[in-house]
Amino acid sequence: MGPISHSINFLEELQKSVGLFAPETALTVTFLLAIVADLIFRRSRNVTGFIALLGFIATGALLMSNSSTSAFAFNSTYAIDPFANFFKLLILITSYLIVVISFFSAELYHGNRKLGEYYTLIIGMTFGMFILCSSTNLIMIYIGIEAMSLCSYVLSGYTKEIRRSSEASLKYVIYGAVSSGIMIYGISLIYGLTGHLGLAEINHSLNVANLDHITLLVSGMMIIAGFAYKISAVPFHFWTPDVYEGAPVTITAFLSVASKAAGFAALIRFFKVVFAAVPAQGSIPDATWNMLGSIDWRIVIAILSVLTMTLGNLVALKQTNVKRLLAYSSIAHAGYMLMGVTVMSEIGVQSVLVYLVAYMFMNLGAFYVVMQYANLIGSEELEDYTGIGYRAPVLGICMVIFLVSLLGFPSTVGFIGKLYIFSAVLSFAGKNGQNFYWLAIMGVINSAISAYFYIKIVRNMFVRGAEFDKEKFKLSPESLVVALIIVIPTLYFGLFPGAVIRWAETSLKILVGN
Amino acid sequence: MGIGLTHYLILSGILFAIGLFAVITRRNAIMVLMGLELILNSANINFIAFSRFGGINLDGQVAAIFVIVLAVTEAAIALAIILNIYQNYKHIRIDEINKLKE
Amino acid sequence: MLTDFGIILIFFIVGVLFVAAGLFVSSLIRPSHPNKIKNSTYECGEEPIGSPWIKFNIRYYVVALMFLLFEVEIVFLFPWTVVFKQLGWYAFSSMAVFMVILVFGLAYVWGKGDLEWDKPKPYIPKLEDFVDMKD
Repeated sequence: MGPISHSINFLEELQKSVGLFAPETALTVTFLLAIVADLIFRRSRNVTGFIALLGFIATGALLMSNSSTSAFAFNSTYAIDPFANFFKLLILITSYLIVVISFFSAELYHGNRKLGEYYTLIIGMTFGMFILCSSTNLIMIYIGIEAMSLCSYVLSGYTKEIRRSSEASLKYVIYGAVSSGIMIYGISLIYGLTGHLGLAEINHSLNVANLDHITLLVSGMMIIAGFAYKISAVPFHFWTPDVYEGAPVTITAFLSVASKAAGFAALIRFFKVVFAAVPAQGSIPDATWNMLGSIDWRIVIAILSVLTMTLGNLVALKQTNVKRLLAYSSIAHAGYMLMGVTVMSEIGVQSVLVYLVAYMFMNLGAFYVVMQYANLIGSEELEDYTGIGYRAPVLGICMVIFLVSLLGFPSTVGFIGKLYIFSAVLSFAGKNGQNFYWLAIMGVINSAISAYFYIKIVRNMFVRGAEFDKEKFKLSPESLVVALIIVIPTLYFGLFPGAVIRWAETSLKILVGN
Repeated sequence: MGIGLTHYLILSGILFAIGLFAVITRRNAIMVLMGLELILNSANINFIAFSRFGGINLDGQVAAIFVIVLAVTEAAIALAIILNIYQNYKHIRIDEINKLKE
Repeated sequence: MLTDFGIILIFFIVGVLFVAAGLFVSSLIRPSHPNKIKNSTYECGEEPIGSPWIKFNIRYYVVALMFLLFEVEIVFLFPWTVVFKQLGWYAFSSMAVFMVILVFGLAYVWGKGDLEWDKPKPYIPKLEDFVDMKD
């Protein structure tokens, strides 16, 4: 912050920043309206939900209106760039769909539970993720992570009289608080090393001075631990299966898509800005990022990636609870996406963005069907799924599409995502002939392993047994419409991925410095 | 002999270690929370010491203010969740709360 | 010449002396009539012995949480007061926005009834309790 004699400039800067901050302001206003409405309309259980939907639409309109701006706000602590806009829009779509899906949840609407706080906290969590996507300052990143996490701790225990839900919430809050504590300690070390908290300034210090490697490695790893926790990468994944199994299905879906996306946004921005080397005079900037030579962060991320996908897929093999199985599968998917981060190039980031869009549709869809099944049969165990494909045929077919998409079967959007990730990894050619062919091979082996448990769910759903003759379930037309809304993009973008790829391509611009 | 940056860093390192130790070994959820506060405050000591002795800028002190506020909100939410656990289980020994295991 | 550690030592000694002197002087001038209840540990009106987990009413926690949340916002006010004069109305309005958001939170807590201190209703004896009405 400049000296006080510059306060006039400071005010102008602040006024400009407030304009750029409009989508976040819209979310804040929605949040306040929602809590007031919750006080006024005490009888209604959905009113805050509808306010959230309207607020999300307004926020989306504001986001679209400045989708091409690139500017810093609030003294360069906040970047409004196409990269952040991509993630914000993705998160907004997810939040919207989660609110819509929540209207159908029997688990949430059980008894006469009040749902005012539920929808309000979803708005708050969206706000936290927005902050996380745009922060270019370590303290802002920390605030974003906390704003997102605090809401999600409460949401995961929202059905508080159910023991496993409150247990999930306890585990989440303890593991989460410890990991964010370790992260802030790492941030304080980085501040001591470089004297700055802004990502660009830290990068500058790292470039001019030769700093202690051990301290840099330790503090860097501590900060990565905070991000890895949010994207549930091994070895910071312990909370994931328990929380995903215990939390309400809608919140599980939300955590697995939106908070993972926000974590990736911050992680990619952190690596892109902090560890970039200033290119030598006269050299042609290429699409592969020049990284500082002292520590090879590519290897660190590659090891994280292999551990994450291998453990996720292997442990998923023996799961009997579908929610828990999908939790491990989401760990594995974080591993695939980390493959894209490993490359640290334009095409690598593009592949992660494409994968996230694919992952959003197929994962939300899978959790939606799990929720509908839980409404119908009151169970999430794999053995209770026997023959359910015949009793609710439309949902069954949707589930098959989501699962083969998660598996990466051609003609689904999941295939496009995997294709882009693998080709980005194979295209990498670093200095000294460094390449990541082995990483791509691990990815392919893992995809093959994952086929087993996805197909196992499908086989259980369509097994012919005593249940075959049972009567069919009646589903409301609205719930089928929602399923179709998620199925159609899963198939359409699998066959015609052009729009998604162009969107990702135009969203690669990450603001680095002034 | 004066008190310099090193002393503060040693203090914060010890606090961090004690906090982490408490988080890992304690069975009582409240004790775990206390360990957590130690971790956050050790980071605060770092921030302020670096800001004071590094003499570069006041970013560290601003960071400390935010960490204090976030530590309080985190503690408030964690306490509320632990209270709910107590109502469900009638105890708060976290190693005995493991319904969610394969 | 005192080192920094010497200053800390003096702080420590003065702290101990301050408490000790206070206790000593009060022990000279106070009347001493101990009994069982007076000697028990003071614990905010709660029974001091037993499991700490069942004794405290949930109301204490709610009030403590509310206090904690609204008290800590002061930490933002201190740096703000320092630059308030230079920044003028803009600083005032931004802090006003912050405060208004907090007031929304307070209103929510109030509206939800979490600030109510529901006292146990004392039973006021009626005449019928003492007079046998059958006669």
